[in-house]
Amino acid sequence: MIALLLVLTLQTTKVPDAAQFVGAPQSTPLQGSQLDTRTIEIAGQLRCPVCQGLSVGDSPSAMAMNMKEQVRELLARGYTREQILAYFEQSYGEFVLLKPKFRGVDSLVWLLPLIALAIGGALVVMKMRKLERPVATTPSDAGDEYVNRVRQLVEKE
Amino acid sequence: MNRTVLVIGILITAAIVALFAFSFGRDPQHINSPLVGRVAPRFALRAVGTGEVIDIESLRGKPVVLNFWATWCMPCHAEHPILQQAARALGSDVQFVGVVFGDTEENIQAFIRERGEAYPTLLDDKGKTSIAYGVGGVPETFFIDRNGKIVAKYEGPLSFEMLQTYVRKVLS
Repeated sequence: MIALLLVLTLQTTKVPDAAQFVGAPQSTPLQGSQLDTRTIEIAGQLRCPVCQGLSVGDSPSAMAMNMKEQVRELLARGYTREQILAYFEQSYGEFVLLKPKFRGVDSLVWLLPLIALAIGGALVVMKMRKLERPVATTPSDAGDEYVNRVRQLVEKE
Repeated sequence: MNRTVLVIGILITAAIVALFAFSFGRDPQHINSPLVGRVAPRFALRAVGTGEVIDIESLRGKPVVLNFWATWCMPCHAEHPILQQAARALGSDVQFVGVVFGDTEENIQAFIRERGEAYPTLLDDKGKTSIAYGVGGVPETFFIDRNGKIVAKYEGPLSFEMLQTYVRKVLS
């Protein structure tokens, strides 16, 4: 019985490490207020996977709190912002990033508003140019024989 | 000018209709796991009840059904007997492993006492294993082949038919 307990005690648990995903830390470990500030900043860039449109930093869910704690732990170990975001992205996919990357179909998120703005601007310019055109001074019915005769009669009188 | 406006209007409407048509029938909560096709992240967690530490690496050579669940999750209650039945039926051909997160050992033990346990249930204390596997909600199940590679991920409670389909995938 004692031997069994000893074996169980000696067995150590292990959780998946960020190094499996993004390698060794590439910066210096943070602590104190710098650690708090960076944790809030990075948690604010991650989407809470169990919430509707909330960041990990804003969500009170247990999952978000675990994720925020992990961000803090990784910063304290010297992982950079890019490495931490890459770690979560490799687990959850790009969905977890609140700010989509300028890549592939996602680039439309950035490009479409600009394209819409350009089209709108072009339409406004076209309309303004049309309004600025001088009004025709010659009568549009100059070629009408009946109107010409009437005009001649009026001028004679 | 009116014709230009009409064409632009038609294009915008067509784009919106196409977007809706593409999105209808898709679950907005569903995320394709980037882990599919990759080696399962390594972990070693303590089993509830026995205290034995189970290392996912030690299960290499045998297909693994890795089920993330919790006692507070109602769909997990419905899925539990299906997984237990399948684990008993498949015996040593496939290793089933449960990982519980956001829960207490007492709740899990009470659940297991009441409903039975055909395979080890591990406690993911601070949710780090669930995070590494990109778990967004429970239940979620990963199907891992003999080489330790994730073949598929299923979100939501498994039916017996779905479970059979995925198990065939890891066995092939």
